[in-house]
Amino acid sequence: MHCHIVITVVFWSICVDSQKIRGISLSYKRFYRERQSFLCIDGSKLMSFDHVNDDYCDCSDGSDEPGTAACPNGRFYCTNLGYRPHYIPSSRVNDGICDCCDASDEDNNSHTPCRNTCRNLGQRERADVQSQMRTLDEGLRLKQQIIQESVLIWQEKQAQLLDLQRVADDLQTQLDNLRQQEAKKNEEVEKLREAELEARETAENNQNRTKSPLNIFQELDSNRDGSITLDEVQAKLIPIPDEGRGLSEDEAVVLLGGAHQVDLSRFEETLWTSLKMGDRVMIKERLRGVPSSVAEDDTYIKAAMSAAEKVAADMKKVEDSYETVYMEIRDLREKLATDYGEHREFLLLHNQCFQLKVNEYIYELCPFNQVTQTGTSGAEMSLGKWGSWTGTPENRYCQMKYEGGEPCWQGPSRNTVVRLICGTETALRSVKEPSKCQYVMELQTPVACQQAQRKQGVHSEL
Amino acid sequence: MAAFIVRMGPLVVLWLAVCLSGSRAVDRGNFKTCNQSAFCKRQRALKTGQSPYRALLETLELTNTKLTLQLINDNNKVRLLLELYRLQGNMTRVKINELKPLKPRFEVPDVLINDPPTEPLSLLSQDENGVVLSLGADTQRLIVSAKPFRLDIMEGREVLLSLNSRGLLAFEHLRSRKDTLSDTDGAEKKEETDAANEQAEGEETVKEDEKAEDGMWEETFKSHTDSKPNGPSSISLDVSLPGVEHVYGIPEHADTLKLKTTDGGDPYRLYNLDVFQYELFNPMALYGAIPVMLSHSPQRTMGLFWLNAAETWVDISSNTAGKTVFGQMLDFVQGSSEAPQTDVRWISESGIIDVFIMLGPSPNDVFSQYASLTGTQAFPPLSALAYHQCRWNYNDQEDVAAVDQGFDDHDIPYDFIWLDIEHADGKRYFTWDPHKFPQPRDMLQGLEDKRRKMVAIVDPHIKVDTNYKIHNEIRSRGFYIKNKDGGDYEGWCWPGNSGYPDFTNPEMRAWWASMFAYDQYEGSMENLYTWNDMNEPSVFNGPEVTMHKDALHRNWEHRELHNIYGLYVQMATAEGLVQRSGGAERPFVLTRAFFAGSQRYGAVWTGDNAAEWDHLKISIPMCLSLGLVGVSFCGADVGGFFKTPSTELLVRWYQTGAYQPFFRAHAHLDTPRREPWLFGPDNTALIRDAVRQRYALLPYWYQLFYHAHQTGQPVMRPLWVEYPQDTATFSMDDQFLLGKDLLVHPVTEEGARGVTAYLPGNGEVWFDVHTFQKHNGAQNLYIPVTMSSIPVFQRGGSIIPRKVRVRRSSSCMEHDPYTLYVALNTKRFAEGELYIDDGHTFNFERQKQFIHRRLYFANNSLSSRNLAPGSQFTTLSWIEKVVILGASKPNKATLRMSDGMESLLDFEFNASMSVLTLRKPGVNAGMDWTIVLQ
Repeated sequence: MHCHIVITVVFWSICVDSQKIRGISLSYKRFYRERQSFLCIDGSKLMSFDHVNDDYCDCSDGSDEPGTAACPNGRFYCTNLGYRPHYIPSSRVNDGICDCCDASDEDNNSHTPCRNTCRNLGQRERADVQSQMRTLDEGLRLKQQIIQESVLIWQEKQAQLLDLQRVADDLQTQLDNLRQQEAKKNEEVEKLREAELEARETAENNQNRTKSPLNIFQELDSNRDGSITLDEVQAKLIPIPDEGRGLSEDEAVVLLGGAHQVDLSRFEETLWTSLKMGDRVMIKERLRGVPSSVAEDDTYIKAAMSAAEKVAADMKKVEDSYETVYMEIRDLREKLATDYGEHREFLLLHNQCFQLKVNEYIYELCPFNQVTQTGTSGAEMSLGKWGSWTGTPENRYCQMKYEGGEPCWQGPSRNTVVRLICGTETALRSVKEPSKCQYVMELQTPVACQQAQRKQGVHSEL
Repeated sequence: MAAFIVRMGPLVVLWLAVCLSGSRAVDRGNFKTCNQSAFCKRQRALKTGQSPYRALLETLELTNTKLTLQLINDNNKVRLLLELYRLQGNMTRVKINELKPLKPRFEVPDVLINDPPTEPLSLLSQDENGVVLSLGADTQRLIVSAKPFRLDIMEGREVLLSLNSRGLLAFEHLRSRKDTLSDTDGAEKKEETDAANEQAEGEETVKEDEKAEDGMWEETFKSHTDSKPNGPSSISLDVSLPGVEHVYGIPEHADTLKLKTTDGGDPYRLYNLDVFQYELFNPMALYGAIPVMLSHSPQRTMGLFWLNAAETWVDISSNTAGKTVFGQMLDFVQGSSEAPQTDVRWISESGIIDVFIMLGPSPNDVFSQYASLTGTQAFPPLSALAYHQCRWNYNDQEDVAAVDQGFDDHDIPYDFIWLDIEHADGKRYFTWDPHKFPQPRDMLQGLEDKRRKMVAIVDPHIKVDTNYKIHNEIRSRGFYIKNKDGGDYEGWCWPGNSGYPDFTNPEMRAWWASMFAYDQYEGSMENLYTWNDMNEPSVFNGPEVTMHKDALHRNWEHRELHNIYGLYVQMATAEGLVQRSGGAERPFVLTRAFFAGSQRYGAVWTGDNAAEWDHLKISIPMCLSLGLVGVSFCGADVGGFFKTPSTELLVRWYQTGAYQPFFRAHAHLDTPRREPWLFGPDNTALIRDAVRQRYALLPYWYQLFYHAHQTGQPVMRPLWVEYPQDTATFSMDDQFLLGKDLLVHPVTEEGARGVTAYLPGNGEVWFDVHTFQKHNGAQNLYIPVTMSSIPVFQRGGSIIPRKVRVRRSSSCMEHDPYTLYVALNTKRFAEGELYIDDGHTFNFERQKQFIHRRLYFANNSLSSRNLAPGSQFTTLSWIEKVVILGASKPNKATLRMSDGMESLLDFEFNASMSVLTLRKPGVNAGMDWTIVLQ
């Protein structure tokens, strides 16, 4: 009932019968034609015609008393010449209150002098209806524009969605590549790590277990060619007690039993003996505690890791972009999935907000999003988030519901019903709280204007 | 509305959070038990036994109007003065005060409508054991026994009632505080000294034997301390009722009609309190207090009125309570056991003993006896008996207009729409919120145009605000209640910090009444009436949510008169409404707090109930109890105030409320809307039908209220009132009578498919008002029910006038014709009445402008005869139809007027239901006429 505008008045010029039966419409006249006897319209009883309108209810359907208050279920026809004819319940006949604008419902002898106000009412209503019609016309025109605009925006949004999806696909590809790279790098780092671990283990073995000549040989044989050279000796061993300096070549030669390089068996006879004695030379690492080979590996790992990190950072960036784009897509999809009406005419209201100040509160409606109330203290309170359309079966787009706002003391969450009314501009017109924490708003907008309202305005209860 | 939950600012919210601690039901801890009330504890510690009181027969004086006699307490030698009056109308008044109180003790004013006229007592015999007085009527005697003192009222050889037979007469005499006594030794020494002095000074000296007990000179409950500058002052008296097993009354309690014994639990408490979410079926105090108890047995109905306005506790015990039916039968068969007896004990914190014993013997005698003391039910404007639509709150003028229109759109009649506290500007009563109600007169005129009315709330707490005229005037005139230190008493209520006008001051009441003048109460009009809520008084931060007992009403402590404060508020308000019309119009004021006599000022409702089936059930005994003690205009919030009713409960509540005296729907601020059309067309139709049944019956309701106003008979009655011999009815409170002709059995069970109603009266017949089906009396009858209605029966032998043309409001029905429902009894006889006046002025009383007719059906003719030949009133209403239930088919029906004119009437006869309908007699309702069936 809030969704339409009363539009039109239709006149019936009624030929007034001199022996008019009070309280009936022209179309019912045929039932009261005979004047000898009267048959209740439901056929339930036949009676003498003087029982019609004799202020006693004879018919169970109330049809014998159209012009009195006698029947509990009767109705009285207000002809209302110059205005809109309509029925009132019989109980309003002769009750001291003027209901029909033509004053026909009250007897002249009753205490209430009723005036015929139909002409004025009719004029006023015609003026109202004209202005409402203008509003409706203008509203419908604006609505058409809005629909066109909405179509464009809709297409734009669709295009935007496609673009975004393309971007997302690109990002996905990049992301896949980067993932592969990352995997590779990680693998390398992993390998190095393993080597390192192994080396550490070896070093630890050297330190902690009884060293076999083979162990030491291998340790000293940096290039693992099966022989220990002077270079290798100089690199790995230091003299005791003068650890500060390196071994000279001559000293190395002496240690290797005069040779420039030794194999394992010669090693056991020469250098191994010296090492076992431990009084002339020792292996460098023992002094430093870190096997040199492992320390060198660490730098490799660092390099590998920083490479991996770079890939990861790149990936994060791409992922972030993807996330952003994905969100945009999701929002857009959500928007596109929202029911904006038959012609998506409500699309334009999304992302707009409308405010109204009522006493000390400022109310804000952001269609398809939320409703809030702000008090003088500045505290904002949610009166509900977009829920659904809850209009009539004929026009479900005349009412919105926002749900799940701030909970009430001892009660449910706040919610808001927004009724949409036709107007030439879009604005919040009223806010009410009929029950505590249940709000009702009226949003006026051209989008709510309906072609059908032209017809609905034509009132007739015939 | 009421109770203390609201958006009132963080301070109060915090306070509420602390006080309510989230409980859903009453927080019992907020209210005292007998043990926590020092005087109740002291008094209850006294056990039955030999009374220390002795009558000093040598002091006996007998005058034309009374007998006086001194009593002495042999323990402390304090003397009391007993006054005995034989009152006109078979009543005895017993007054006991201190012979020489330290200062005067409070005697409750303004409750009795006059100094009750006395009749001479005559001395039948006297000896050293006592005196025997004749109470005139029959063989009734009053026996005063000297040692120990007791009073017995006898009829023939039967004792009707005894006072102090259990020795519980106790009178804490006023005394000076002995602050020097700090320990027991000291007290004993002092006592010895006193004893010595006493011997020196002779018997006249009062002996101080009571030891100082806790709570005598100061008492603390929760965080509140009651300074007791006057010390202990409580009184107590026991009453024994031989042969009595059923006692009723002492409202207000959310309990069964038949009062229960209080052994092992707390006594029934009478102390007007704003109880948040009250519990059912217990003796806790509620909003109002009427210290009147009725006793009933097949032999006799009696009443006892304890005229005391201080905090009061009532203990009830019975020697048959707890016995099984079999045990009682065994006693009866063996004849061995003692006769049944109920013992009652009254305890009050202060004041004097002033007891009115109403000796009946019939229920109606007791009603008229009590009415002769405290007056009768105010005769309300007819519209006040129609339907009231209330909610906390109708938000603004637009809201009011929309609800008003809703009733028209759904073709549901209503007469009053109500505005709760939010209508006023910041809870400043007598003002309007400038945003929500900027044009109150326009709004009221809009209602007036539809012949409807409005009630706006005016509570007795006044916002302390120097920009508020009402506050400034009360303060400058010194009309506020004072605190114990002499400053204006202030407490928290809806507006925040509030003052409480001293309504016990007649000057204050006169000023308050003047505030209702149309030029004082801005925006008010003739169709605006008033609602007094929170008048216990409710003080959110006071002890037990009410006023400190040591607050001062000029000379008297609040303690003395707490229970009558609410009565005064309604009295002053009703007087205001009378005065604004120049004395012409009957007022309508609803109150939540009440006392004996409140019936004279308007309507009462049962406060802040809840949307629960048990609360619907309890509305019956609560209003029945009120009706028995004078307050006929009673109702419960239809739908329940707190919480949200299921649709079924709401419909059932409308169906019940339509048959209870005060018919108002109300709802808490926090609940969803529940106007009758919000539950789908089917339920709208059910509610519409219930409301229409009410409107059709308005002529009968009005006539019942006229009777209540004339005689004090309750409108809504327990069955035993009309069937006093029928013991099956004595405890019945799931059904009730309206007048004596309609029996109503509400449906108060969820999903009920049927109810078992008890139809009383051996040899009587009852007609189902919906189907005209006839049933025999003295039977339990199972009646299948649907959602469409609740069982209602018209008594065979009665004639009930209805106006079946239901309009938008009762005023619109003023000139409508009557339909007479004649229900024949087995002797083919019926009688009833028709009362008509202008519906709203005092002209019925002052100028005898009314029509009162007797309608009777006998010897196959139905006649209307004038019952008030001196009265004069003309009506446009006429007799539209006569429906005779239990009739046989006549050959013809002839209408005879007093001038001899005759005419034949058309009629219809329904043979299967034996219903004869006479078509359109058409005679004016104020005329003499006869319809003869041949």
